[in-house]
Amino acid sequence: MCCCVATKKPPHNSLLLLFLCALCASAVNIRMNIWLLSDYDPRKHLAFKSMLARFSLAFPDTETEFLVKSRKSMWESLFAHLRDPRRNPLADIIEIPQNWTELFSRLGLLSDLSGRVEPLVRRRYPGFILKELCRHDEARAFSAPWWIEAPALFCRMQALRGICADPAKELASWEGFRASLDKLSSGGRRRNFRALSCPGSSGSVSVSDVLPRMWGRRGGLFSDDFNRATFTRDETAGGIEDWLELAVSGKIELFSPDRFEHGPRPPEECAFIISSRKLPGRAGFRMLPYPGSPGSGFALVYNLAVSASSSDPDGAAAFVSWVMEPPNMEAFTESFGVFPCLKPAFEQRLQEERDSGVYRRIFSAPELMPNIMVYPTAELLLERALWNLSLKIARKDYAREDLNRELIMAQGEADYLLSLY
Amino acid sequence: MKKNPKNLYGTASEQVFYDGRYSFIQAALEAVSQQFALDGASFYEYDEKTELLCLRLRHAFGASFEHEENLRPLSGSSAAAAIKTRQSCAASSAAGRFFYFPFKLDFFDPSGGRNAVARTGLVRLERSPRKRRFSAAEASKAGAWLRSYFKDYYKEEFFSLARRQEKTVSAITELTEVFATALRARDSFRHILAGIQTYFGFDRVRLYLIEEGNRKLKGELSADIQGQIKSISYEEIPLEAGAHRFADIVLGRSTGAFMERYKDCVLYVPLAVQGVTIGLLIVDNLLSQQRIEPAELAMLKSFGGQIALAVDNSRLFDKVEELSLYDELTKLPLRRYFNQRFQEEFYRAERFKQPLALIWADVDYFKEINDTYGHQIGDVVLKEIGRVILSNLRKIDFPCRYGGDEMVILLPQAAGAEAARLAQRLCEEISELRIAVPFSKTRELKVTLSIGISTFPQDASGVEGLLERADDALYWVKSHGRGSIALYSDVAVEKEKEKAAAGGNTDGNS
Repeated sequence: MCCCVATKKPPHNSLLLLFLCALCASAVNIRMNIWLLSDYDPRKHLAFKSMLARFSLAFPDTETEFLVKSRKSMWESLFAHLRDPRRNPLADIIEIPQNWTELFSRLGLLSDLSGRVEPLVRRRYPGFILKELCRHDEARAFSAPWWIEAPALFCRMQALRGICADPAKELASWEGFRASLDKLSSGGRRRNFRALSCPGSSGSVSVSDVLPRMWGRRGGLFSDDFNRATFTRDETAGGIEDWLELAVSGKIELFSPDRFEHGPRPPEECAFIISSRKLPGRAGFRMLPYPGSPGSGFALVYNLAVSASSSDPDGAAAFVSWVMEPPNMEAFTESFGVFPCLKPAFEQRLQEERDSGVYRRIFSAPELMPNIMVYPTAELLLERALWNLSLKIARKDYAREDLNRELIMAQGEADYLLSLY
Repeated sequence: MKKNPKNLYGTASEQVFYDGRYSFIQAALEAVSQQFALDGASFYEYDEKTELLCLRLRHAFGASFEHEENLRPLSGSSAAAAIKTRQSCAASSAAGRFFYFPFKLDFFDPSGGRNAVARTGLVRLERSPRKRRFSAAEASKAGAWLRSYFKDYYKEEFFSLARRQEKTVSAITELTEVFATALRARDSFRHILAGIQTYFGFDRVRLYLIEEGNRKLKGELSADIQGQIKSISYEEIPLEAGAHRFADIVLGRSTGAFMERYKDCVLYVPLAVQGVTIGLLIVDNLLSQQRIEPAELAMLKSFGGQIALAVDNSRLFDKVEELSLYDELTKLPLRRYFNQRFQEEFYRAERFKQPLALIWADVDYFKEINDTYGHQIGDVVLKEIGRVILSNLRKIDFPCRYGGDEMVILLPQAAGAEAARLAQRLCEEISELRIAVPFSKTRELKVTLSIGISTFPQDASGVEGLLERADDALYWVKSHGRGSIALYSDVAVEKEKEKAAAGGNTDGNS
């Protein structure tokens, strides 16, 4: 008996029914491996685990296993498969940052999902997501957008008393935000107080830290036509420098021993939090757009892809379709404070949000990371530069020329890559 | 959560086997979490240079996950003390209850050496602040448990090393065979690059060779990570200091920050035979930005000599082959090569019902030129004629020095009219040649060509027949004033006319 019928959970439309029944028809103890990207918030892994439990209830014949990989390890595993597919098999389903799609589809690792995943067939995603998903080929899509996050500023209004009279106005610019941070640092505060907290930090300054500010200054890693790298352009270097300056001046603590000992700082001990996630139980906090963002914001999208070497690509695509069903997507994304990519679910969440005004502005036409072949590598080059600079800052050995030198090197490498690929 | 538990080696307690370094550690974290009712367990590697603890794996809330976080332990804290003294210890704070277990594991030397490299770090067992502390007895038990578990770690390294050695041995065996059997340049370059990619799997391998005369470094082939090989013959680098990074490397002048920066993911292998550099092999992991392992570096460098020899051998082989197939003076293929190609082209024309034309050219009064001006001038004439012929042909046309001053040109997919146009052009260009003869009164020499043309299928149905008809047409031209062209079909008509006229005359006479 078809398990779609057995579970009395009819799929949302006939196309999906077709997919799932195809899965059922061949589903005699199907085994599916999934690689998930690691997240600083373990609620993501738990949410995925509970989603898999629901899937197993609905489709008892399909066995699923998942492995959480760090971004670096995911990258290495994908390249390891290219180097030696026999020794390094890929999972059937892989979560990737949206802008890895072009690279790994061109390297032949990903299956075309355009005709197999219902929301892709019907293009049920916001336009700004679709634009980057299919930059070169509108007819095909090698991954399905899953969830989206956008960095924003959360202010604890109590801590800003006497510091900032009109936060929406004063914190709209980077300079206003910086001035508020200075004022917060100068006053006598409790020992545990932090002016600024970044819960997603990996310890050093990373690309995800500097990108929003870089975008805010209208900078980018490549020129608009993607013909040359622009790491050293004033807007790009200035955006990076703005963030590094926070570390140099001690507004953010690099490689924080405090974080090792006590974990992320509780929100009630911070005045500002820069986070891409909604804060759980954020009483007393006000959400504002990322300081210094012109117009809309900057967003990061994560997609699900089916590996080209999957032994059951149709089954894997059917699983992706199931994950993309609105109830599953909503429950998963809600649990760790991000937005679903599916258009109806995305719009509904926007309406329901307490800070819907801010989110509407952020998501009106957000910048996404370009989905071009060399962009992920360019990010790695910048990441390495930022790591070197972070170590220098931590050793109190940093000078502005260090940034120049690192960016010149990284830009040279990125330009060379552009000439090769 | 455990993916494909391949039974490779065992833990002390259960004799369960895992595939890979982190699978072992993940299993340890899962087991210790269960054993001691933990809320979390984390595995940190310690970098002594930066004094950072690098979180690699964590097990919490019933899920294991890799994670990257680089943090510094607070000076004077329990964690810092555990690392410094290598003594495990328990600690408690508002953030939770902790037990720190420092470890020292022996990783095999990634550079392929025989020694083990010690890697230190910390396992942190965690309980929430509301739960019980780690008592001295429990801490001791947890420490003993982890020590016992980690005792078997060397087996994981042993099996990893065994796998690596197995790969190395097969690489050495098969690559040596590839390099030894490579003969023809084009094929052998492909085999060499494909062989390197099969065993090393770099993002890209490129081969550049120094052109004869040492003036240029010329791109040959590039193989990507998917094994696709393409020509990079469009890349030409002047072999001058400062002209390009690759030129500097070949000239032994490469220095600077860029080279330092690239050294982990790019390897330049100059190819030298008997102390003479013949090219450059470049392998890189620039797209993935992954480090080329020192063991791979060493191995590829050791292959450098063999690769250079194979490349040089195949170039020599091509050169010898070229000498045996081409005429050195005119640069045209020789008759033996022509006969082989003629057969092939003829079969193709027959099979696909396509036309085929044959041009037979002869230098007028060539014997007189040799006798009057000497063989050196005769050679210059032939050389110039070869040049004119080569510069006027399509890619599919095939010329040849058939013998002495006779040239034959095969024109696939060409009918009589097209062949006649080409022949006319050749006649004109050659008649415009002025061969310098300094010692003669006129100081220069003019030459003309006589050309006969035959076509398939109109004039003949076989190879021999086609040659004969072209020769007949040439003879017709030679016997009718030289310096022009004739199609066999026209010659046949003319011959008929002459025959008829001769017959008429005979009739009249009679």
